Amino acid sequence: MKKLLIVSLLLIMSVSLGLFAAGASEQADDTKDKTVIEFWTWRPEDIEFYDAQIAKFEAENPDIDVIQTAHKNTEYNTILAASLSGGSGPDVFQGRAYGGLATFADSGFLEPLEQWLPELKDYSATALLGATSPTDGKVYGSPAVSQTVFMYYNKGVYEELGLSVPRTWDEMIRNFEAVEKAGYIALGNGAKDGWTLETMLGGMGPAIYGGTDFYNAVIKGEKNFLDPAFIDMVETMKSLSKYLPDMYVGIGYEDMRGNFINEIAPHLIAGSYEAAYFRAQNPDLDFGIFAVPGRKAGDPAWVSVYADMNFAMNAASEKKDAAVRFLKFLSSKEFGKAMVSELKMVTSVPGVDASSDAFISDVLDLQKHATPYLFLVGFRYNQPTGSSLWQAAAQGVMAGTLSPREAAQQVQDGIASYYEPFQK
Amino acid sequence: MVHYLCTMENQGWNMNRRQRNTASWITLFVTPGLLIVGLFILLPLFMSLYNSLFSWNQLIRGEFVGLENFRRLLGTYPYRERFLNALGNNVTWFTSTMLIQNTLGLLFGFLLSRKIPGSQLFRRIFFIPVLFSIVAVGFLWGIYLKPSGLLNNFLDLVGLGSFKMPWLGMESLATPSIIMVNIWRWVGFPSLVFLAAIDNVPVECLEAAYLEGVSEWKLFWKIIFPLIIPAITIITVLTVIGSLNVFEQIYTMTGLDGAPNYSTDTIGTLFYRTAFGSIDAGSPEIGIGSAIGLVIYLLTFAISLASIFVTKRSEVQL
Amino acid sequence: MITDFRYRGAPALKKAFISFVLLIMIVYVILILYPLFNMFISSFKTNRAILSTPFSLPEQYDFKNFATVWIDKGFAGYFTNSIIVTGIAMGSILLFGSMAAYGISRYSFRGNILIYMLFLSGIMLPLKAAIIPLFLLIKNMGLMNTRLSVIMIFIAMGLPSTVFILSGFMKAIPLELEYAARIDGCNDFTIYRKVVMPMVAPAIALVTIYNSVPIWNDFFFPLVFLQSNAIKTLPVGLSTFFGQHSTNWALLFTGLSIAILPMLILYLFMSKYFIQGMTAGAVK
Repeated sequence: MKKLLIVSLLLIMSVSLGLFAAGASEQADDTKDKTVIEFWTWRPEDIEFYDAQIAKFEAENPDIDVIQTAHKNTEYNTILAASLSGGSGPDVFQGRAYGGLATFADSGFLEPLEQWLPELKDYSATALLGATSPTDGKVYGSPAVSQTVFMYYNKGVYEELGLSVPRTWDEMIRNFEAVEKAGYIALGNGAKDGWTLETMLGGMGPAIYGGTDFYNAVIKGEKNFLDPAFIDMVETMKSLSKYLPDMYVGIGYEDMRGNFINEIAPHLIAGSYEAAYFRAQNPDLDFGIFAVPGRKAGDPAWVSVYADMNFAMNAASEKKDAAVRFLKFLSSKEFGKAMVSELKMVTSVPGVDASSDAFISDVLDLQKHATPYLFLVGFRYNQPTGSSLWQAAAQGVMAGTLSPREAAQQVQDGIASYYEPFQK
Repeated sequence: MVHYLCTMENQGWNMNRRQRNTASWITLFVTPGLLIVGLFILLPLFMSLYNSLFSWNQLIRGEFVGLENFRRLLGTYPYRERFLNALGNNVTWFTSTMLIQNTLGLLFGFLLSRKIPGSQLFRRIFFIPVLFSIVAVGFLWGIYLKPSGLLNNFLDLVGLGSFKMPWLGMESLATPSIIMVNIWRWVGFPSLVFLAAIDNVPVECLEAAYLEGVSEWKLFWKIIFPLIIPAITIITVLTVIGSLNVFEQIYTMTGLDGAPNYSTDTIGTLFYRTAFGSIDAGSPEIGIGSAIGLVIYLLTFAISLASIFVTKRSEVQL
Repeated sequence: MITDFRYRGAPALKKAFISFVLLIMIVYVILILYPLFNMFISSFKTNRAILSTPFSLPEQYDFKNFATVWIDKGFAGYFTNSIIVTGIAMGSILLFGSMAAYGISRYSFRGNILIYMLFLSGIMLPLKAAIIPLFLLIKNMGLMNTRLSVIMIFIAMGLPSTVFILSGFMKAIPLELEYAARIDGCNDFTIYRKVVMPMVAPAIALVTIYNSVPIWNDFFFPLVFLQSNAIKTLPVGLSTFFGQHSTNWALLFTGLSIAILPMLILYLFMSKYFIQGMTAGAVK
């Protein structure tokens, strides 16, 4: 014991001193005449992509070094908040949209970008909405990516069974029944992960509750979530449960995707961010997309769309000139094109030719009937967010512990607790 | 003779022994640890809890509002509902862990000390689940509890196929499932703590009792149990603190929002997502989050203190 | 020893009881070894295989994942950093923790309970909650981006439970031993070192493992405070396998398998110490 104690004491003292010095010298490592900017993302899966792009940027701008750090998505907000509150943090970073942006913008941590990047005024209104603070109306991020929610389908199975893309809701149900008879699970979605139920709403909801008109009415307070159209939508979603896999309340995100990738279920309501994953996991899978159709033949087939990510700048950064140059690079058409072709993401940069990728051009096609993703876009500015309320209530409905009306009531009560238009 | 050897006096429980001037020794022993804990834990913690007395605009502190955040937490929708729901789950965690994990631990510890066949092997293996990271435990058991997972496959195998369930997806089953996984992970700890404590009971005591013909049951309750009270205190207090704080295990298995439909929510997850926000649940509400934190702290402090005093009293009674 | 549970010659009820408990214990052992086995086996599979057939043996055993994780992903460096951080933190926790436990449990003085509860307060709320003030503190101390920052934090996190557990065991040591040592002329520190510490050896082994594992596996504080790649620890490296929408399961399981090995080794070492310590206690 004695030896152990003495040894540990000595170890602690000597190594601590050594480490103190070691840590401090880390910072002196930078080359003197280059400006170093820190770039943070929440996409560890895209590290290589950004490394390659950064190399391109550094070649064109030899006096700037960019250091990328990709943090785990679920911890990103906490780490960013801690760093920015502590007065440090990255120079350029990926920013969340809507409510997530407001958190940092209203705290004064983000630099308003309109004067640095005048080209932002050419972006579409939907894209800019995600990067604008509702409090002061300024734009705090350069919109980078938008996501769309729709139905993926297995082209191979459709060919095999002679099915075609449905134009009405009933046709879609008939397709479901046909694939079930052939031994497949009709729809691969699950209910264990709450946010996948929000995705399901995004895919099939607008067709029933009435798309953008409903959205605008709810935002203004003219309608609320106890509206018959919304309750109808919840009931319809519940009616789809007979097409879902067995014990779907236990099926989580990975299993859902697994069902589609392994061709157990030829339909899946999911977002545009899945395409890259599907291709990587099963290159032989031949998949297509369609928008969930409305009840009547002439109804628009809506897809929910939302701004997902923007690039923001730290208001307290000491290297704003270098940071702006990197920001401009990230907002350029070339970078947008790279996001399309390599990451299979729909870029928000205007004027990028997306026809090179068949999938992206399909998505853009469906976006002709775009509607805002109800809760994510409209109701994520206060706690409890519409998203979290819907996710919990939907889980109750799908598990049978809540009736559709009770679920709608739960959502309505939660939002009405802070949403002024509902409080009149 | 048994009684002479085994009285509490001889075992040194009587704390009012010496009031010597040993202040300098005490300082030497206690100060380094206290300093580190004070600086790196207590200071930031109290600063955080202090935040609950202010209003917040996102991440920026506003003005002093006294107990307003507490009023909102305990009085308004939805905070009150969520808080009470979560607290209920914490009580479930505590009672299940005490009744199942700690009694099993006591049983295992006792039998291992009595060298039941195979005890050499068991005592080495029982502690292994503690070595897994929480993330690894969450994943592995998440996979086993899937509808197509190991547990359901096993039920099919033994002909109990009708009992197959979506374990983590049903509101009534999710929390019990996570608790069982937690018990799987931790039962080795009380087992070994009790094993060590029971082993400290002098062999002469027990041998003498055997020779006098005392039954196993009486042996355990009248001789061993009172002498391992400190170990029981340790395990009880750690369980109290653990059940009031539990959050990581739930986070890895069903997420931060208390899915499904708030049935796995505990004050730990509620606290974390209110104070830090989560991607779906929205922006941080630091004022109310810190208020929840303060409530957790006060509850834990009070109940731990109470447990210590209650068990301390039974130490002296023999 | 007559106090042991013997199976043979025991009355029927006792036999049934022993068999029943043995059954539970054996089932538990299987439930422990299988996940361990499962985790190791998954390191040999590809992502898709893990998702579609998580329970079967891999089709081929290639060590590609291990090479990728160790070399390409820089785990060799992370591993070393983890060892340094955990080793120093654990050593300090044992030293300062046992000293504080000794001070609290073997002396009676006013404020005893207060100091005891102050230590215990350290685990009543997850320290993660105080990350913003902690961040400011570390920054103001100039410890940002140094290993010392997380080491100090881990020491502070490990002390409360150590003090709590060790004081519980130290209280049980009979007074005669202390009196005997004083008669021999030992001062307080020697008593601590030579009399009390050896007698709580099993508790020390327990406390070591109980604290090493969370420190070794903690990814949050290293994630926040260790920004240069050269000083990052193992769990931070593991967290890069969690993409927003796609997790690299194969590499993750490989990383987890590598990560659990030092803990298993430490555990085997400590369990020997635990058992030795137990029988030593009988020798007074």
